[in-house]
Parts: sequence; C-alpha cells; structure tokens
Amino acid sequence: MSEFVTDNPEIQSETDDPPRPRALRKPRRHGGALGSWWQRINIPGGVGVAVWFVIVGVPLYFLFVSSGRESADYLANGPFSPPTNLSFDNFTTILESDFPLYFLNTFIVTVACVLIVQVLALPAAYAIVRSGKKSVARVFSFVLLGLAVPAQAVIVPLYLLITQVHLYDTLWAIILPTAAFALPLAILVLTSSLRDVPKELYEAINLDGAGSVRALFSLVLPLSRSALATIGIYTAMQAWNGFLFPLVLTQDVSVRVIQLGLWDFQGQYGLNVPVIMAAVALSLLPLLVVYLVGRRYLLAGLTAGSGK
Amino acid sequence: MSSETQTSSQAGRPGFIWAVPAVLFFGAFAVLPMVAVVYLSFTTYGGLEAPVWAGLDNWKRLTTDPLVVNSLWLSAMLTLLSWLVQTAIALPLGVYLASKGRMRSLLAAFFFVPLLMSGAAIALLWSTLYDPNFGLASIIGPLIGVEDGNFIGNPKLAFYSVLLVIAWQFIPFHTLLYQGAARAVPVSLYEAATIDGAGRFKQFTAITLPQLRDTIVTSSVLMLVGSLAYFEIILILTGGGPGAATRILPLHMYITGFRGFDMGYASVLAVILLVLGTALSLVITKVTGFRKMASQREGL
Amino acid sequence: MFRSRQEKSGSRSQRARRVIPATLAVLAVGALAACGGASSSTDSGAATPGGGDNGGSGAELQLWTLQNEGINGVQQAAVDRFNESSDAQISLSTYVNDPYKTKLQTSIGSANAPDIFYNWGGGNLKAYVDAGRVADLTDALDAAPDIKSKFIPSVLDVATIDGKVYGVPMQAVQPVSFFYNKDVMADAGITEFPATWTELLSVVDQLKAAGVQPIALAGSQGWTELMYLEYILDRVGGPEKFEAIRLNEEGAWKDPAVVKSMEMVQELVDHGAFGSNYAAVSYDNNGSQALLTSGKAAMELMGSWEVTSLNDSFPDFLAAGTLGWADFPVIEGGAGDPGNIVGNPSNFYSVTSDSDDVEAATQFLLTQMASDEYVDALISVGQVPAITGLGERVKVGQFADFNAYAYNLVLDSPTFTQSWDQALAPDLAQTMLLNIQQVFNKQMTPQEFADAMDAAA
Repeated sequence: MSEFVTDNPEIQSETDDPPRPRALRKPRRHGGALGSWWQRINIPGGVGVAVWFVIVGVPLYFLFVSSGRESADYLANGPFSPPTNLSFDNFTTILESDFPLYFLNTFIVTVACVLIVQVLALPAAYAIVRSGKKSVARVFSFVLLGLAVPAQAVIVPLYLLITQVHLYDTLWAIILPTAAFALPLAILVLTSSLRDVPKELYEAINLDGAGSVRALFSLVLPLSRSALATIGIYTAMQAWNGFLFPLVLTQDVSVRVIQLGLWDFQGQYGLNVPVIMAAVALSLLPLLVVYLVGRRYLLAGLTAGSGK
Repeated sequence: MSSETQTSSQAGRPGFIWAVPAVLFFGAFAVLPMVAVVYLSFTTYGGLEAPVWAGLDNWKRLTTDPLVVNSLWLSAMLTLLSWLVQTAIALPLGVYLASKGRMRSLLAAFFFVPLLMSGAAIALLWSTLYDPNFGLASIIGPLIGVEDGNFIGNPKLAFYSVLLVIAWQFIPFHTLLYQGAARAVPVSLYEAATIDGAGRFKQFTAITLPQLRDTIVTSSVLMLVGSLAYFEIILILTGGGPGAATRILPLHMYITGFRGFDMGYASVLAVILLVLGTALSLVITKVTGFRKMASQREGL
Repeated sequence: MFRSRQEKSGSRSQRARRVIPATLAVLAVGALAACGGASSSTDSGAATPGGGDNGGSGAELQLWTLQNEGINGVQQAAVDRFNESSDAQISLSTYVNDPYKTKLQTSIGSANAPDIFYNWGGGNLKAYVDAGRVADLTDALDAAPDIKSKFIPSVLDVATIDGKVYGVPMQAVQPVSFFYNKDVMADAGITEFPATWTELLSVVDQLKAAGVQPIALAGSQGWTELMYLEYILDRVGGPEKFEAIRLNEEGAWKDPAVVKSMEMVQELVDHGAFGSNYAAVSYDNNGSQALLTSGKAAMELMGSWEVTSLNDSFPDFLAAGTLGWADFPVIEGGAGDPGNIVGNPSNFYSVTSDSDDVEAATQFLLTQMASDEYVDALISVGQVPAITGLGERVKVGQFADFNAYAYNLVLDSPTFTQSWDQALAPDLAQTMLLNIQQVFNKQMTPQEFADAMDAAA
C-alpha cells in the first residue's frame, strides 16, 4: 500500500485540486517500477478489497437483476437465481403510477433549495471574509455551530411552526427547512473559497472605486463559481435524498417526494420485490446522470467541507 | 447599517447587512425551532390543540421512562461502533484505491455507487435482502449459523444488522476522503523508507497514518456528529425493533411524538439530542482545532 | 450499471461557465414552478373548504378516507349519487393508513380540515370529540329512526361517546378470526380446525412435525400480535377485563387474567407456533400472507379485511378455494363467552363541527350510508356492512361464504371489543404495542408486562 499516484492524467482528475500556477504545483510524484512491484504482491490488500467488492456488489447486482424480473419468478425461484424472463414491465408499472409526480416534486424542491442557498450564502460569505467587523465574525461562529445540530432534534417545533403558518403539506414545508439546514455548510465552503482569493484583488477593485455591490458581481461571483457549483450539488443531494422533513411535514400524494414515495411503494406493492427494486433503480437515475456529466463537481459536492 | 466607525479601508467592504438574509433565514428555520423545542418540552402538546404549559411534568417522566436509558445506550454504541467499523474499512480501502492503475480506478468508480443512493433507497434494498423467508437472509443465514434467516427480527442481531447497512451507506464517502488524502502523500517518503528496509506494514503505520492525520480527524468528526442523526435507515429497516432493540434516541423521539402524539415529551428527548450534539461538536472542535483547520482550508 | 469514464472536455473554468448559466436558468424555472406547485392543489389534494369553485351554489365539502382499491370505488359512487341531488358538493380524497392519522391530527383544528372524515371510533374519535371538533349527530339520527335502526347497535355504540352519537358506520364489520390454508392442514393430517386451546396446541405440534410453520405472524408490527392478547384475555377473563383497562381503572393492567393471558401467549411461542423469525416479518409488505399462500405456514389470525387483501395480492390462492376460516378457539375454564369477538366493529364517518355545511354533510351520511345501493355495492366487494337484517343478501359475490360467516359472527356475538390500539389513547397504545412485541420476543415476562403497562397507564 505504499505505491502512490503518478502524473497519470486520468487519476489526477479525480482529485479536487484546483489548477494552480506552475510555480506552486507540488513536485512531481512517481510510481515507477517500485510502485508496480508493491502492487503485485499486496495480497492482504487484494483480499480485503475483494471482500468489500462482494459486499457492495451483491446488493447492487440484486437490485438491478430484480428490477427486471417478474414477481412470481422472484418468489418461486429465490432472489439470486438468474431471471427467466427479463422484462421492463416493472419499470412501466412504476412510471405509470404516481412516480413521475414524485419525481417532479422532488425536482422542484431540489431546484428551489439550491437557488435559496446560493443566493443567501454568497453575500454572507463575502461579508464574513471581507467586512472585518466583529459582528460578522460572530456570524461565522454561529453558522459553524449550526453544522452540529441534528435535524431530528427540531422536527417537533418545526412541525408546530409549519402548521401555524399554514404551510403544512406544501412543497414549501420541505424546501424551507432543507435549505436552512444546508446553509451552514454552504457558507463554510464559500468562505474558504473566498479566503483563497488574494487580498490584493479585493483591494484593487475597491481602489477602482467599486462599492461592495459591484465587487460582488464583478469579482466575487466569478471567482466563486466552482464553489457555488459545489454547494449547489451538495444542497441538491440533500434535497433530493431528503426524507425526514417530507416525512413529518407533508402527507398528501400531491406533494410527495421520491424518498417517501419509495417507502409508500413498499406498502402498495408488498412482496412484489421486483417492482420496488425498479422504483429504487429509477430513483437513482438522476444522480447517475449527474455523475456521468459532471463527476468532478459531484465529488466536490459530496466532500464539501471536508478538506483533504 | 452598523454603528462601527467607517475607516477609509471600510469603503467598498460589505457590511453586516450582507449576512442578514442568511442569518434570518437560518434563524427562522433552524435556530428558532431550537429555542422552541426547549419551550415545548415544558408543555403538553398533541398536535391537535395549541401547546399547554405543563411545567416539569415531561422532564420528570425521564426518570420513569424505561426506554430512555436504552436509547442513549444504543445511540452511544452505534456511534462508537460505527466509527470503529467505518474507519477500519474506509481508511485502508481509500489508501489502496489511491494508487495508480486502471483496475483500481474502475474499482473506485464502482465503490462510489452506494453514494448515489438515498437513505430510503438503501434501506428498502436491504430490507428486501434481510427478509427472513424470501430474501438473501434466508440463503446466507443458514450458512453462518442463523438457521431461520432471522437477522433483523432477532433482538441480539438486529443492532449489528443495522450497523452493517449504515456502514454500507457511509463507507464509500469516507473512502473518498481517504483516497483523496492518500494521493497527496509524496512517494519519495515511501521510496526512502523502502531503501531503509521498512516493510509494507511498517510504512503504513509510520508514514501513511501520520500523513493522514488531518483527514482521520475530519472523517471522524463527520462520523461522530453525523451518527447522532442516523434515522431513515433504522426507521425503514426495523422501526426501532424488535421491541426496542434498535430504538436509538432520534427514533424514540419520533415515535413518541408522531405516533404517540406526545410532543411535549418528545421535545424533552429532542432537547437531550440537541445538547448531546452540540456538546459533542464543541468538544471535538476544541480538542482537534477543527475550526482553525476549517477556516484555513484551501478552497476547492 | 457501470458507467464509462468520461474524458473531461475543456478546462475547468470553461465547464464552470457552461454550468452556471444553465443552473441559473433551471433554478429560475424551478422557482416559478415551486410557487405554482405549492399553492395550487392537484386532483387528490385537499382544497380549503368553502372554495366552491365548481360553480355550484352550495358549499364544497371535503371527504377524507383511507385508500383501499376495493372500497374507494363504492365510496365514490355514493358521493356521486349524493352530489346529483344536492347543492353542496362533496369530493373524496384518499390516504394511506399511518400517515392519515397524523394528517388528520394536524389538520382537524385548522382551516384545512375536512368536512367528513374516516375514523375508527372509540378512543380515536374521543380525542377529537373532547377537543370540540366533531359534530353531534344524535338529534339527526333520532329524527330518522328508520335509518338509525338499520345500523347494528353494538357497532353504533363504538361511535357513541358520553351518550351522544358522533359517527356513522360506513364500512365493513371487521371481526378477527383464524384463516388457514386448507391444503397445508390436510397434508398434515388435520381434519378439523381446533376448537379448544388444547386442541390448538396439539395441532401446532402436528404441523411442526410435518415441517410447516404452524402460524404466520407479522411480528415486526405490534398490532398483529395484539389480536392474540385481545382474544385470549376475553376468553380467560371476559370482556370486563379490557373494559376496566379502557376506563383506566386502578390496577386494571395488573389483573391476574392479564398476566395469565400473556403466559398463554408465551406458551404458544414456546411451542414454536409462530416459527422463530416472526419478528422480522412485516404485514405491510404482505410477508405473513406470502407465508400462508405459499404453503410455508398453515394459519393466520387476522381481521376480515384479509380476504379482500389476499384477493388483491394473491388472487390465485383465493380462486382455488384454498382459504378456510374459523373462530378463535375456546379456552377451557375461561370466564368469557366463547361467542365474543374482537376486531374493528367498523369504521365511521364523522362530520367536523367547523364544516361549512354540517347539515348537508350529515344528510349525506344519513341518506347514503344505509342506502340499498351502498350496502349492496359494499357486499359485492366483499365487505359485510354494519347493517341489520341483511340475512341472505350478504351471501353474494366472490366471497359469498365468507361474507355470510363474518356477518353471522357479528350478529351472534354478545360483545364486540374494539381493537385495543384504537380504543386507547395513542401514546398509551404505542407503549402497549411495544411491550406486547417484547413479550412475544421473550424480551419481557408477563408480570413485567403488567407492571410496565400499569406504570404507563
């Protein structure tokens, strides 16, 4: 386990280093002949990975094979026998149910949350990094504390709050708390990103006579694009996979999101495992697309706030 | 605007007002409920009518509720064991995957997939697998001494069954962290050690681990703080059962509040959760200097 | 599903520049949609009462009920019949069980309250009555004695609180009885369903010897196990024992009959009657039904809805005539009348006191719920209505024999005890369900159960 990465561009691309000026790049690293020799004889490592491969692979195999089977086949022949008839019927069943509605709801929630978080977090991060006032520095501590609070602890008062303002059973009931809980990390990521910007750039634009508003749009916004994308993805994942807030704050089918819908399918389709597995597979789809299209951003979003 | 004196270097700097929208929003939907939950713990509230002041009644119930100690114990055990199991697997795995090689990159991409699944999706998948009569459990169970495939219905095994699923959910994430960090370790260190005659294991403990220290801290912090909130998986897999064998604190609170409609007492449990979460974070932050690390972290 | 590796194209900042405007456009659309999606309601949503946007001169009333494929059609037909000749218009919305209870709880005091709502009577309804949310139907019923007399009195009693009637039965009587797989029983050499407790235990042993799980039990949910306790306590100590518990009398839970009942439960468990992995089997995903229909188990104690449910999920099983049913065995030396039954006497519709048109809502209940069309329609989907004097009328349709059985079971029973988790207050019910599970799992002794329930009550 002592071999390490080379300047192999494929592997390099999986890190989340920003491209840096040549002078600041770390020294070249070699795997070389030494690396591959270690690679060949790492048996305990290989065994461990093989075991983990089975643990990860078997459920996933089950997931995808089952979604293509018929229920009678599943019950009769057991979960792991090769399917006798592959069919897409299960997927059609799911698509003809309320699933597309859940999909749309989840999409709306996700988009709204991302918008809210980006719009609120950026000015706040800018203020934290640049204002130099103590009151604002306290905001940062306040926000950090927010990272530690488990959402379950506040669902009872949230429930009270949401019902009092008559938002129970609406999409807003999901959007607002989800965005609120995603804010701390978003602010954290943005402040780090903005702190990276050399002071001189800020000062330069101020010397040009720009007020803070113009600075925001012409300097801060362009510079934080990738961080914004990162927190966008992070928030999107929180919203897409969110379960607790929808569970507690909504009931109606018209505002149901995918995660709740999956649970509901289990009640509706009972032991028709293939159909349920088809629903699970379908719920994966969007993130899979994101992964294929923008893996770096997905990775960055997932590990947001974690540092190297 | 603020009343602090504006010096010439203040010109063009954003004021406090820039942070206000975020603060207000976060305050309304996260902080206000935190304060409210403390208030609610002193009331009787059933979701039907407005909360009614009840003094210390709910708090006194803490002493007579046989499930509280059980929940706290389970939560603590889950946190600790999750941390052990997940770190023990994610760390070596991440290091292994960090090295070059087409095979390893493919594996890394494959191991990434569970990350794409939501908690609910994972829980549904595994509850199907754990079905004692028709699922994987009915096949594997007899092979490992559990004749009737009863994993999630057995009070002794349910906890570990749940632990496994949670690990399955989160190990990919931590593997990613360690993978990224391991890449950053300069190979020259290993080359030097090899020349000195150090074996692979010695190199791992003497070089890799210290270099990964920061990441271990970050990963552990995330695990420990996050573990207080494991909820969906357990709700969907076992509902807290069998009996109360997997009824961790958040679940106890949820069932009390939203099935038993006793939201006053549920608020008491919520306050405990809140206090524990905050205390844990504060302690960890102090001990590890995480905050300093976070604010000095390089941008992405 | 293994994704291929995509080469990145262009530099990072170029990609960022492409992503951002796209994101913003999507976000803008999404925001607009979110505003729209949140405020407008779709077909199955609940519009606020009194909306009247269908142009009618009357109020628009909301009726909330549980989702059930077989019954919802019948309910909708009744609503349609009413709407034809009424100014006020009713619209029906359906919900799944557990979430429905929460939803009702939150909405009933608010502007989003329904006008007519489905409930279980008993303690469930009492909570709303005590909060002043439910309209009193007593006078309306007394003014229509011929309608009132159509409802089975013992069922109407469950919606009668402090002498006043707050709900009208709208669904089947749902007694709990044993269901069994005729083939499995025959294969094990059992010719008659056990009539006494001793016979039951011996049948259990016989089935085990034949390599079959005697009884299918969805033990991951407490209410399926509750049914055993309900019957055993009734047989052993008579219905007064639970009545005392329901009225929260001192020491009611610690009555020796309660402890004895739990001991008998554990006797069944120790005999291996439920197999060993019942705690992992769920009713919601038809786990116990799958055991029964696949021949892996022989019997199941369940409410009468099981017949329609089996028909939905395992139609071949019913069509082949493999399903049998029988009364819960008599317990020798017990104080309870062997004819007593437990279950859901029925489900009810009640009217919210804040409704825009209490009068119209009440009229709907009175004219439709006992009407011939409604009653016959219920029977045709396998539901035995809580209506007196049906006689042979129930013996029609797919489930003719079962209908007749269930109906007579209810008519002949001296008492019909409501499911405890509906009769008791919700938080006590939750604790009870948990403790029952623990007794079944041998995590708690019968005496500990009695003590724990006494402390919680």
